[in-house]
Amino acid sequence: MLGLSVRAPRDIAASSSAPRVEFRELEQVWFQITGTLCNLACRHCFNSSGPHEPWLAGLDVETVRRHIREAETLGAREFYFTGGEPFLHPEILALLADALAVAPTTVLTNGTLIDDPTADRLTQLAAAALYSLEIRVSLDAPTAAENDAIRGRGSFAKALAAVRRLVARDLYPIVTATEIAAPPGSPSLYERLHAMLRAAGVARPRIKILPVLPTGRCESRGDGRRLTAGDLEGFDPARLQCTRTRVVAAGGVYACPILAGLPGARLAGEGLAAALGPTALAHPACSTCYETGIACGNS
Amino acid sequence: MRELLSARRVALLGGVYSNHLALEAALADARARGAEAIFCLGDLGGFGPHPDRVFPLLRDAGVTSVQGNYDLSVAQGAVDCACGYTDPRDTHFARLSYEYTVRNTSTENRRWLRALPPTLKVALGDTRLLLCHGSPRRINEFLWETTTPNGLLERFCRETESDLLCFTHTGIKWHRALPSGRHALNVGALGRPENDGAPRVWYTLLTADHELSVEFVPVSYDHETLAREMTREGLPDEFVETIRSGWWTCCLESMPVKERSRGRY
Repeated sequence: MLGLSVRAPRDIAASSSAPRVEFRELEQVWFQITGTLCNLACRHCFNSSGPHEPWLAGLDVETVRRHIREAETLGAREFYFTGGEPFLHPEILALLADALAVAPTTVLTNGTLIDDPTADRLTQLAAAALYSLEIRVSLDAPTAAENDAIRGRGSFAKALAAVRRLVARDLYPIVTATEIAAPPGSPSLYERLHAMLRAAGVARPRIKILPVLPTGRCESRGDGRRLTAGDLEGFDPARLQCTRTRVVAAGGVYACPILAGLPGARLAGEGLAAALGPTALAHPACSTCYETGIACGNS
Repeated sequence: MRELLSARRVALLGGVYSNHLALEAALADARARGAEAIFCLGDLGGFGPHPDRVFPLLRDAGVTSVQGNYDLSVAQGAVDCACGYTDPRDTHFARLSYEYTVRNTSTENRRWLRALPPTLKVALGDTRLLLCHGSPRRINEFLWETTTPNGLLERFCRETESDLLCFTHTGIKWHRALPSGRHALNVGALGRPENDGAPRVWYTLLTADHELSVEFVPVSYDHETLAREMTREGLPDEFVETIRSGWWTCCLESMPVKERSRGRY
């Protein structure tokens, strides 16, 4: 276990000068299902998740179900379950089943808790559903030495074992990596991960690369820059995921997965419909979205 | 306003992707089956050889087309096809396909592509149809069978005042009756096989009798000749393999896990 901070990321400072973007339409609904409770404490975690004293609580079953029903009536396209580590939630499998009955669903996991019985249960859920169940397993480097320096000792082996279990059951997970451990130059992180997965016997590798976000435990990596109204001149706001995404987390509904749980990013206390207004681009992480076009969703 | 079609049977063609031989075969087949009107839901170019060869076939057959994302990009001279790939391998192959298509599409045909409408509303008997390429809201939205929920489709139907949504873009056909009694229909694609290990391609027939019927029609064509043309044009071996084998070899990034697990790659 890495001895790292669990304090909340810095909240959005109240600012009337922050530019705002209009909401377009609800496509993705995320659930911060375990809040920031995680069995790992990765050095780059954007919401400072960890095993001790999580700063953000998880969600109860009824809150999740209520928002699933509302999302269906609003015509949302897909659900995402994240945390923290979603498989620490005692009702995660039942909630995935509820979500899959309504829309395609993705769960973001570190993979360390996906043993054979859990993989079997996920296989049953996927087979019974009309919609796709996508599983994203986080790995940050193609070697145990590089990965475990970021994610904790033994995490590489456990995550890779989970990937193999899921592939063996035709669930083909999406391996998700940040560029935290990517050395400059070629070959790229994508190529190295692809080669590692193929060598490990993983058929059809699926890989998603994300930038490191200047928030949580990596707050110091950013320059603190905040967007201004001038930045949005000639910019298509539809590129920003906060124009089509909402996140249900403890305390209410928030603008995006990166800022979930921060009081300054809360748009409504309860209910998706009340949270479909404009979003203030007030956090330094908004600059990362603006500059990189990051999409926390699968595509 | 919707145009009320006088036809009783119509054919709906999905992404042609420069497959002029499959298009020719499908047009003949549709006429032989009594289709009185034919619609194409866009993406005329990409992937296959000699993109200019599909245009006279469409015009001579009186096909009414809507605009696909590929058509819009080629017409505008955009930097890419707007399929939205981020996977490096998919991006590589999408670039090769797009650059070849742009290079080999005439100015006249680009002008024709630019003038295509993004959607069409027509009525077939009592059924109100919405024809589009990706989705009613976005020309390049992928509506796969396993990632398109009923709630969203019902919303599209309400917002467009339609009983039957017709679209393509993913390249794999499907049809679903919605809880409200409305319908969603991915008409499939003529341009490449649908990742099932068979080289045939598909289009869709709609027939208005006392109620509307949907029929997916397989099209066998001279795919070996097309494969040889692609090789002569210097298109990637991976594309040629798909035409011969029926398995997709690239541009798999957007494919959901259920559809992906049914393929070879």
